[in-house]
Amino acid sequence: MTTEPDMPGHHSITSASLSDTLRWAFELDQSPALAGATWITREIIPAARDPFEAILASSTSLDALRELKNAYKMLRTSGTTAPERSLAARLYAATIAAALVRHHASISTQTPAALQRAFTDLAEDESMPERLREVATLALGIHGRG
Amino acid sequence: MSQSRNASLTQTNWDLIRDAAGGSPTSQSSLEQVARRCWPAIYAFIRASGRNPDEAAELTQGFLCDVFLARGLLEKADQSRGRFRTLVLGSVRNYLADMHRRKTASTRKPKSGSIGRLDDLSERTSEPAGMPALTPEAAFHARYVATIIRSSTERLQRELLADGDEAGWEIFRGRVLQPSIDGSAASYEHLAPRFGLGKGACAAKLLMVKRRFASLLMEELRATIDNPNDLQEEIADLLTLLQAR
Repeated sequence: MTTEPDMPGHHSITSASLSDTLRWAFELDQSPALAGATWITREIIPAARDPFEAILASSTSLDALRELKNAYKMLRTSGTTAPERSLAARLYAATIAAALVRHHASISTQTPAALQRAFTDLAEDESMPERLREVATLALGIHGRG
Repeated sequence: MSQSRNASLTQTNWDLIRDAAGGSPTSQSSLEQVARRCWPAIYAFIRASGRNPDEAAELTQGFLCDVFLARGLLEKADQSRGRFRTLVLGSVRNYLADMHRRKTASTRKPKSGSIGRLDDLSERTSEPAGMPALTPEAAFHARYVATIIRSSTERLQRELLADGDEAGWEIFRGRVLQPSIDGSAASYEHLAPRFGLGKGACAAKLLMVKRRFASLLMEELRATIDNPNDLQEEIADLLTLLQAR
């Protein structure tokens, strides 16, 4: 592999990396709402196909759900487009719901009223995958009993 | 950031060329900016053509003096003829074919104006042994892209640190830059505690920084073309050229 001596600090960067950097920068510049959430999800769970699969997988640990929640929480406020922020808000609620349903654990400090609203919005959002909405419905039941 | 700084960052190469050729009070500065942007790629082309580092540096300097100044490349540059990158590549190829000029490279002086010696930018001391294996054209394009990436990276660092976002810069450096250089990425487990962040927050921050970098890189690339609609085509061309050997 050939290299080019042109990065800060007089380090060498590979020619393949130049292509990779150019390619991902261009893709990132044009990415739709789901791409950002998917990228973050894979940083936390490398094998995940997308955020929905990561949240719904039975193999996703409570710690991983907590990290996903924190990532989506930040994306909810710092996402570059309204659709991305809106999707992140749904995923944020979904991680809390999944922790409650599958691990019987609360990973949020939100008020009960705020959680109920977030779960209800997710359960009623027809743009979300059916299985994610079912988890939100189950979480509403557990939340109501609690 | 000052207004003049912003203006210079958004100027395209063609804006600079028009100014450099126009004899305005800022012509010399514009000429130097164009020369600095081109130096690494021109040097890489000449070096990959078989010249040793000293010859390549001398020929690069000679090309800038002879072609940019004495032959008035900038005055003749017509953006309708194609992209600036293509114009420079064709010119340097022709220049190397001019044996007489190459022999007298060390003594040439421009008729008017001057370009200060820029070979301090070449980083020749870190030039890897593998570089001459590239064709001259591939070396030119690789260095051309590397210069743009480098410039974007330096701007990213300046802007993040000016914003007080040291964490953003360090996470980008550890997770994106370092793997590009030596293949080793800093782990989130190592980075996150340094900045009081969790792994998830670190990943989200990195996405934001990568996007900012992508935006800066696109801005730098737009500066090399005159029509913004050509950006996608330019990137596709560069990706193809980088894969060519």
